[in-house]
Amino acid sequence: MLAKKYLSEVVSVSSSLKNIYTVEFRSLGRTYKFVPGQFLHLALDDRYDGIGQWPESRCFSMQSNPGEEQIRITYSAKGRFTKEMEKVLQVGTKLWLKLPYGELFSKVLPRNKVVFIAGGTGITPFLSLFSDSSFEDYKDVSIYLGFRSKEHNIYEKELKSCNIVSKEVNYFYENENGLIDIDSIYNDHGIEFQYIISGPPQMITFFKDRLLINGVHKNNIITDDWE
Amino acid sequence: MIMINNKESRVDIKNKVIDYYQKQHKKDVFVPGSSRINYAGRVFDEKEIVNAVEASLDFWLTEGHFSEEFSDKIADFLGIDNVLLTNSGSSANLLALSALTSEKLGNKRLKPGDEVISVAAGFPSTVTPILQLDLTPVFIDVNIPDYNVNIEMMKNAINEKTRCIFLAHTLGNPYKIDDVMELAVKNNLWIIEDNCDAFGSEYKGQKTGTFAHLSTISFYPAHHITTGEGGAVCTNDPTLARIVRSFRDWGRDCYCSGGENNTCGKRFSQQFGNLPYGFDHKYVYSELGYNLKMTDIQAAIGAAQMDKLPFFCEKRKQNFKAWLNIFSKYPDYFTTPKATEHSDPAWFAFIVSLKENAPFTRDQLTVFLNDHLIETRNLFAGNITKQPAFINKRWRIADHLNNTDYIMNNTFFLGTYPGLTSDMFDYAENVIDNFLNKIK
Repeated sequence: MLAKKYLSEVVSVSSSLKNIYTVEFRSLGRTYKFVPGQFLHLALDDRYDGIGQWPESRCFSMQSNPGEEQIRITYSAKGRFTKEMEKVLQVGTKLWLKLPYGELFSKVLPRNKVVFIAGGTGITPFLSLFSDSSFEDYKDVSIYLGFRSKEHNIYEKELKSCNIVSKEVNYFYENENGLIDIDSIYNDHGIEFQYIISGPPQMITFFKDRLLINGVHKNNIITDDWE
Repeated sequence: MIMINNKESRVDIKNKVIDYYQKQHKKDVFVPGSSRINYAGRVFDEKEIVNAVEASLDFWLTEGHFSEEFSDKIADFLGIDNVLLTNSGSSANLLALSALTSEKLGNKRLKPGDEVISVAAGFPSTVTPILQLDLTPVFIDVNIPDYNVNIEMMKNAINEKTRCIFLAHTLGNPYKIDDVMELAVKNNLWIIEDNCDAFGSEYKGQKTGTFAHLSTISFYPAHHITTGEGGAVCTNDPTLARIVRSFRDWGRDCYCSGGENNTCGKRFSQQFGNLPYGFDHKYVYSELGYNLKMTDIQAAIGAAQMDKLPFFCEKRKQNFKAWLNIFSKYPDYFTTPKATEHSDPAWFAFIVSLKENAPFTRDQLTVFLNDHLIETRNLFAGNITKQPAFINKRWRIADHLNNTDYIMNNTFFLGTYPGLTSDMFDYAENVIDNFLNKIK
């Protein structure tokens, strides 16, 4: 699917942690189309009318699945653009989204022997897959999710509604059972598995390097990272 | 002098354009015997000219908001995800077939020497890309009176080298899509629908151009809508869409639109070919591509034309019936066209073949019609294997092309374009009656 612009409206904003916001959008025109794991560009320029050069924007993973009418993202307000989002994005705000971008899960072939590893808000692209019917195609799956604390796992409700009951899910809370241990994960799965990693850039780089050192082929390490 | 802002200037220009259209392009009255009855022609009103001027005032020139509007309207009309505008229907055919040679498709890609099923009774640009890409066309004979591929002969023609089916819906009449799809699935073949002459036709209630892996449209003035020169490739497959775009846009791997940067978020952090790690993705070329893009001025015209397409299709169907009424009067001389079962063609033209025992030749009749200002055309290239450019090229004929040869010698078509009027049909009927009365 080639990217299209969608005039959209904010339908809900929630924040259960300081500076972390989950926002839902609905399209005011055509229905959103994307596949799990893809991301969107969000623009805040209220002078933009959908015509001409696309204004400054930022990328956000879509955590809702393609079957849902609305799109959901989570962002952390910490830079200039996201702090502007914190101010601007209120229920009823109209803005332009452009999507879909990315091909995270299209690289996962075959869809068996797959390890999903996410840290913090890095879980969002996984949520779009876990809650999608296409996730039923994935066999022999292990899931590792790391958060600073249970309070930081703001996705618990969404995870409960996902189709991951039959999959092996491992939660790591930094203040309880420590950080995700990539070497331990590798020891349990070996070079046969595909590893999909999403999270903070330092985590992705470190995990990827460890897996490469352990002999996992670079094509079997799929990362969701942006510059 | 009163100063006016840009918006007011635009309104002023728009009003003057509308006024100009009314004065300059006012419809001519048809005068029997001195006005021409063309086989095709552009049909437009002030909206196309206003849009073209708007796009000129924008001066964006390359793919811009009119391109978005035009491709969105096509996508909505067909119910298809991806529409890639290009500069002609022939370019669309070249792009569609080129896409299937991409290394991104792995073992499924077409390789030199692979065979592509097509027909010889058609327009060259369905066939030339096959040869240009070092593939081998395999020509199947067609049926009369639907002028589409003979399915039984196609079944027999498929062998271990066959990799693709590339067929046009002849003059808007859909081929038996169910049968072709079944063969393609059974034999793991790619399918391209050349929908250039059939934009708006339906098969079993579904628009043609939405069945195959890829389909193509032409916006040349003879076609269902026009942008002057222009075409489009359509697909529901996101991978093929990206490959087509790459071939269209110099072969580049990056998919940012004009004026955009780093929409993938990985512009400087990927490895491609033997380039240094992080080489600017904007200048990475993963295909041996072309530059076959459409301009925004063309797209502006197309966006206005799209609003007329449903009406144009209905008018083409009516005009087809008008010709059918005329030629059906002479069943001893003419084989009239027949829509494929379960189809509803938005006819590009009315095609007619002389019966074997007709006491006159095709050329005698068409010369007479043209002398009376009624334009006719042959079914494009006739038997394409006999065209100068195709002699001594690598192709294969499956069994025989008897009907194709018959069409080359005995078949012609008349226009069904929406500009035809009942006065024109009345005149044409008189001319045809006169010709046949002389024969009797």
